[in-house]
Amino acid sequence: MLGFPDGFIGDALMLKFLAVETWQRGGRRVFWYIEKAFDAAFGPAINPFYHLGALLFYLFWIVTASGIYVYIFFETGIDGAYRSVEYLTNTQWYLGGVARSLHRYASDGMVALVLLHIAREFTLDRYRGVRWYSWVIGAFLLWLLYASGITGYWLVWDRLAQYVAITTSEWFDWLGIFGEPIARNFLSNASVNDRFFSLMSFMHIAIPLFLLLGMWIHLQRITSPRTNPPRAIMAGTLFSLLLLALVYPALSQGPANLDTVYGTVRPDWFYLSIYPLIEKWSPGTVWALVGGGTLILLLLPWLPRRKEQPAAIVNLENCNGCGRCFADCPFSAVVLQPRTDGLPFETEAVVDPNLCTRCGICAGACPTSTPFRRTIELNPGIDLPGFPVRALREQTLAATAKLSGTERVMVYGCSFGASIKSLDGHGVATLVVPCIGAIPPSFIDFVISRRHADGVILAGCTEGDCYQRLGIEWTKQRMEGRRDPVLRRHVPRRRVAAIWAGKTGGAMLLRELEEFRARLRALGPYHRGGTTPPAAPTPHPLEARDGAYRLG
Amino acid sequence: MALIDWDDKFSVGVASVDHEHRQLLELINETYNRMIRPGAEDAVKDFLGEIFARISMHFALEEKIMRQHHYDHYAEHKADHERLLDEIRDIMDDYEERKYFSEEQCAHSLQQWFIEHFRTHDARLHRRLD
Repeated sequence: MLGFPDGFIGDALMLKFLAVETWQRGGRRVFWYIEKAFDAAFGPAINPFYHLGALLFYLFWIVTASGIYVYIFFETGIDGAYRSVEYLTNTQWYLGGVARSLHRYASDGMVALVLLHIAREFTLDRYRGVRWYSWVIGAFLLWLLYASGITGYWLVWDRLAQYVAITTSEWFDWLGIFGEPIARNFLSNASVNDRFFSLMSFMHIAIPLFLLLGMWIHLQRITSPRTNPPRAIMAGTLFSLLLLALVYPALSQGPANLDTVYGTVRPDWFYLSIYPLIEKWSPGTVWALVGGGTLILLLLPWLPRRKEQPAAIVNLENCNGCGRCFADCPFSAVVLQPRTDGLPFETEAVVDPNLCTRCGICAGACPTSTPFRRTIELNPGIDLPGFPVRALREQTLAATAKLSGTERVMVYGCSFGASIKSLDGHGVATLVVPCIGAIPPSFIDFVISRRHADGVILAGCTEGDCYQRLGIEWTKQRMEGRRDPVLRRHVPRRRVAAIWAGKTGGAMLLRELEEFRARLRALGPYHRGGTTPPAAPTPHPLEARDGAYRLG
Repeated sequence: MALIDWDDKFSVGVASVDHEHRQLLELINETYNRMIRPGAEDAVKDFLGEIFARISMHFALEEKIMRQHHYDHYAEHKADHERLLDEIRDIMDDYEERKYFSEEQCAHSLQQWFIEHFRTHDARLHRRLD
């Protein structure tokens, strides 16, 4: 097979990685069906599944805003707590009640979306290799999220709070790390004091602040992270939450009374799903369950470790420090540092191999990675040793050499997109690349203007959900002339198509390929660009040319 | 034989820019030598590609410097760069097709192109950046 190895671990290694691969494959299928349904309903641009991380930030802000409002009226005391929440819920239902419900439902939403986010990044294999960092930080965030929610339930001081207080105390007391059992605080009404409420409300503010700090750290190794979902999603989410708040407001479950043991409470299944187990099994069992689960989550990026290609390298003889790779790297793996080779340039690009995901977007951005160059010089300023630009050129030539007919298509396929191998045939050449953003736009120019093919297709991930984060976005901007390096103006745009079919969009790719070939057939053979020939015969060729080149 | 000789008046006083200008000039001269020598056509094609790559990278750096200095004519200068790159691509295609191509014309274009590049915007830019 030509080109870059498939992004997902190949069949030969399947046995070794059976467990993870099987789960990922199954998960991808489930997500695919759900996401296609959402694509059909909303369109890929505002499909919430492609904005889970950003949505979590948005929900966090809703929880914060509603929390601040609720806190204004909240009384931190054994008697005042329940009463003040009741006042908000019943008397001031139109503002306080709505704020309370928003606070509740948006935090529930956070749990649901976090679990989806984790499952999705897992199935799409976006947690191994250099991406371990975000994943591991994320595992800690999960704890902070639960701690934020559970301390909140405590504050209401209704029967559910009582249940949470007692069960949590028993659960923590099992660890034996507190001098005296915390549960002793909740033996009777007399043993709970107001100071305890001050402590709880302090924790309910401090833990979410740490959560926010953690969310910021979570994004440290990625460039231009999306922390705001598209407006339509924001509006839709807020509207749904408001509707829920009005139709089905969050209510307390009667005042707590430690002198009574309540048999039935209705736990919040988002935050308190393990609580019944603490009573049913034992605190120790649940600790083992939760601790073991966290440990597996933390170790998952190395179970097994991802097989990595070598990281991008810089060729100083072709780097003048222009910074395009620095601007385009989706994982902040490229930085500009002072020049080290004595040439009179200020900076040079430097790659941090620990951050590099081997996507090749840097090589796609480098002004020197053009296939028009002499082959011996084709060592662009920045390149992927596992799939250098020179190989991209050689393999493009090899693949297109066997094409015939009048609608010859060169298909570049992302290693994380739909499989393009089956398309290979009589009029279609295929080449797998690490990411669609790794193709320098001048390759498209090269293939068409030198008539290696009649048209070029770029087949990538699903729109809005690029495996390497920014490959699709940068490619689009380069094609539209909005981002350097631009696809040159004289390249006929009708001979270039981008198809964001994704891993499971094989059928869509096939359909669009046929449409594209029909279009090429209608267009006929490519007439080269270059200077427009002079309209009328001119006595001296030099004069005609001068006008045409418009030099200077 | 050199098509264009380096002249101190080409110097814009920015070491990196002068360095790249010298490199470009050498490359243009070498391309010209191959162009006028019979039987070297294939090499010329690649040399033109090389010029295209070197100019692209030169412009990329110039644009970065302009952005860093919030150069007031950035958009204009950038548009000029894009136009010049389009022209180089046209020259390359012309050479390949041999349809409307003559060596003298190509050499003349390269020469003009290079000298004009200094005279117009570059001169203004570097006065401004000083």
